[in-house]
Amino acid sequence: MKKLPLQIFALVLLAAMLLTACGGTATEAPPATEAPAATEAPAATEAPGADDLCMGAVAGDEVSLLYQWSGQEEERLNQILQPLVDACGLVLKPESTRDQALLDTRVQAGTPPDIAFWNVTQLTQYEDKLFAMDALGASADAYIPGAIDSGVINGKWLGLPVKSDIKTIIWYSPVNFAAAGYTVPTTWEELDALVEKMVADGNVPWSMGIESGDATGWTGSDFLQDILLVQQGPEYVMNIINGTVSYDDAGVVQAYETYGKWATDPVYAVGGAQGTLSTGFLDAIHKPFSDPAEAMMVKQSGFAGGEIKATYADLEFGTDYDFFVVPGARGLQGGSDWMMAFSDSAAVNALVAYLSSPEGGANWAKASFDLSPNKGAAGNYTDPSLIKKAEAFYNSQGFTPDIGDSIPGGFGSAEWKAIVDYLNGGDLATALAGAAAVQAEALK
Amino acid sequence: MNRDRINKILNQIPTHFIIIFMILIWVVPTLGLLITSLRPVQAVNTSGWWTVLSPPRGSAEYNQYCASCHGVEGIAITNADLTDPELISRFPRSLQLLATLRADINSQPHMQDTPVPEDQAAADIAVHLKKISGIDEQPRFTFSNYIDALVGYRGTRSYQKDCAAGTAPLDIHCDTSDLLNPRGMGRAFVNSLLVTIPATFLPILFAAFAGYAFAWLDFKGRFLLFSILVGLQVVPLQMTLVPISRLYAQLGLNGTFLGVWLFHTGFGMPYAIYLMRNFLGSLPRDLFESAYLDGASHWTAFYQLVIPLAMPAIASLGIFQFLWVWNDLLVALVFLGGTTPVMTYQISNMVTSLGAGWQLLTASAFLSMLLPMIVFFALQRYFVRGMLAGAVKG
Repeated sequence: MKKLPLQIFALVLLAAMLLTACGGTATEAPPATEAPAATEAPAATEAPGADDLCMGAVAGDEVSLLYQWSGQEEERLNQILQPLVDACGLVLKPESTRDQALLDTRVQAGTPPDIAFWNVTQLTQYEDKLFAMDALGASADAYIPGAIDSGVINGKWLGLPVKSDIKTIIWYSPVNFAAAGYTVPTTWEELDALVEKMVADGNVPWSMGIESGDATGWTGSDFLQDILLVQQGPEYVMNIINGTVSYDDAGVVQAYETYGKWATDPVYAVGGAQGTLSTGFLDAIHKPFSDPAEAMMVKQSGFAGGEIKATYADLEFGTDYDFFVVPGARGLQGGSDWMMAFSDSAAVNALVAYLSSPEGGANWAKASFDLSPNKGAAGNYTDPSLIKKAEAFYNSQGFTPDIGDSIPGGFGSAEWKAIVDYLNGGDLATALAGAAAVQAEALK
Repeated sequence: MNRDRINKILNQIPTHFIIIFMILIWVVPTLGLLITSLRPVQAVNTSGWWTVLSPPRGSAEYNQYCASCHGVEGIAITNADLTDPELISRFPRSLQLLATLRADINSQPHMQDTPVPEDQAAADIAVHLKKISGIDEQPRFTFSNYIDALVGYRGTRSYQKDCAAGTAPLDIHCDTSDLLNPRGMGRAFVNSLLVTIPATFLPILFAAFAGYAFAWLDFKGRFLLFSILVGLQVVPLQMTLVPISRLYAQLGLNGTFLGVWLFHTGFGMPYAIYLMRNFLGSLPRDLFESAYLDGASHWTAFYQLVIPLAMPAIASLGIFQFLWVWNDLLVALVFLGGTTPVMTYQISNMVTSLGAGWQLLTASAFLSMLLPMIVFFALQRYFVRGMLAGAVKG
């Protein structure tokens, strides 16, 4: 009896040694993105074009990437990069995490990824470690006007806006609207009147759930910023971001009251304050499109379209689900993921040049990976909802970045906390004072 | 006597009640996870896992409102055959269905004397009609989440559907090589084993040596050294990530299995040594003295006495260390990263950054739970014994 555990132990040891021996070969096995057979053929046939594209990178050059995308998003990025990978034989070493601590650890340890796709604030954080985009072969002319402005830090252009999404939109069901005799509002007053009409008809206008784990509140902060764009305009939002307007200003209070009137009342929003606080933001997207519909509208960024389609595969964009731009909003709230380079190797050059080229923009659009501010993307979208989103994007009067993302020092979380406190019945002035204090500290 | 027994049983009831309650608290979420992982994605997104055994949606409502004319099978009226997909596709949801139910047919109310169903009932009937007409036949349970997770499928439908239609994503080849797709849980399982087995074995081996030395070798500063080692337990792992990354960068150990093994060995040893020393110290001194008298060297004593006797402690350490390394995300993320993904890393990357595709996450989570459960049940009789190791002088 006593010998049995010993034997198991020996077996485990043996297995470990065997697996370790295999491990050596397993680590060297090429990642799936690399296709050795495919890499050589195009390089041989289209030598001049490939040289141009590859910026001197040779087959086998490695590029390490770090980004927050995963799942289907990663698949789309691979589609976009595939032509470059095929032409130059680059070996991509991707890593995906939503933990910013990993990026910080890597940079502090002196082993940053060659390229990171991260938020705009990291351009400022790592200003002295990043390589300028124009020196890496990117062309500012390739982008729609204003798109790269937030990527220029102290006169140096440090980031490419690669993936953009617009947030100032409201999703609704055209079928349900038609059945109830509602029309899409074109002004804020019309929206207000429509909401009251829905209530009078016994319909719940909004699905407002904001629950998102420890990021609960971000959906609300988007809604509030859209209200600010309607009531106060884009300059006011920019003034909050640069600190001229304090976050407890009268305009902000007015926006919170407008938002709170809807979000806390079960007549206006599914479940009232508790429903708003405890419904997950993904579930909230489903509610106007369930059968029977639990609400008439949901305000959510562009990604909601994909979520609706994934949940209700039989619904068609344009007839069963659609969106309109928040009526009366002056300019759009939009966010981008930024590409930044911690290396200036030939392969990084090739990647930067490719993504900022018209071809890179076109491939981005074809992969249906949200919007690209690259001019080459225009006209290449295939997904009907992206085509409509791109239209709103290109026709916008201008963009304001997300307030929470743009103020460093934890302002985003402070803003979410203010929203949650307010919806929980807390005093609005106290809630805003807390966020304003963080804002003042961050922008001192 | 009889009374005592009844009293005893009565006294135990609250305890039993609490224990059963605790078990339920732990088991119910796991059961929910298991059921969710076996359901098709649309069902997961539209109804809770606890509804899985409820009767099919809409059949009761159909029988109440429609069966009297259309028949239970839906084929009683020949020019309104409810099993005809073309007809039913015109009434996908309650809205369209209600419109036609409220309209007149041959200048007679469609529903005749029966009241028109409420919105919810109409929605349920629409679902039922889609099912009997074969437009939307969803199985109650499916393995497709597991298959998608195993091969690392990242498309918008499912691995089987995409492969059948020939529209598979880039890294899917629709043959057995998919099992080794670096984005799949299959490959990650192998990587996790490669990380975990040595990272469990090494610290225990060293701790057994060190525990013997601290317990039975007489050398100067023994107690001081032991105290320092035990004290090292307070060093938080997170604090060392940056310096060790830097060191590994110079040694070329970043992204290698060796680097992760060494890291886990280093952080597993203080506790392992502490436990082993206390366990070995509690063995009777006479045993070792008679062994030495018989001419046994330290090595013989260690190999022939200590290892067999310390098996409970070794096994429980093994469980602890195995579970810790297997479930570790942080160390694997920092030192192995995406090039050789382990299961925890892969699980977190099954969903998109906005949480879409979480049905894959449930399947992946279950796949990663399998091995720890096997290990735990295989070694559980050592578990409690080992926890008490060194606690009572034997």
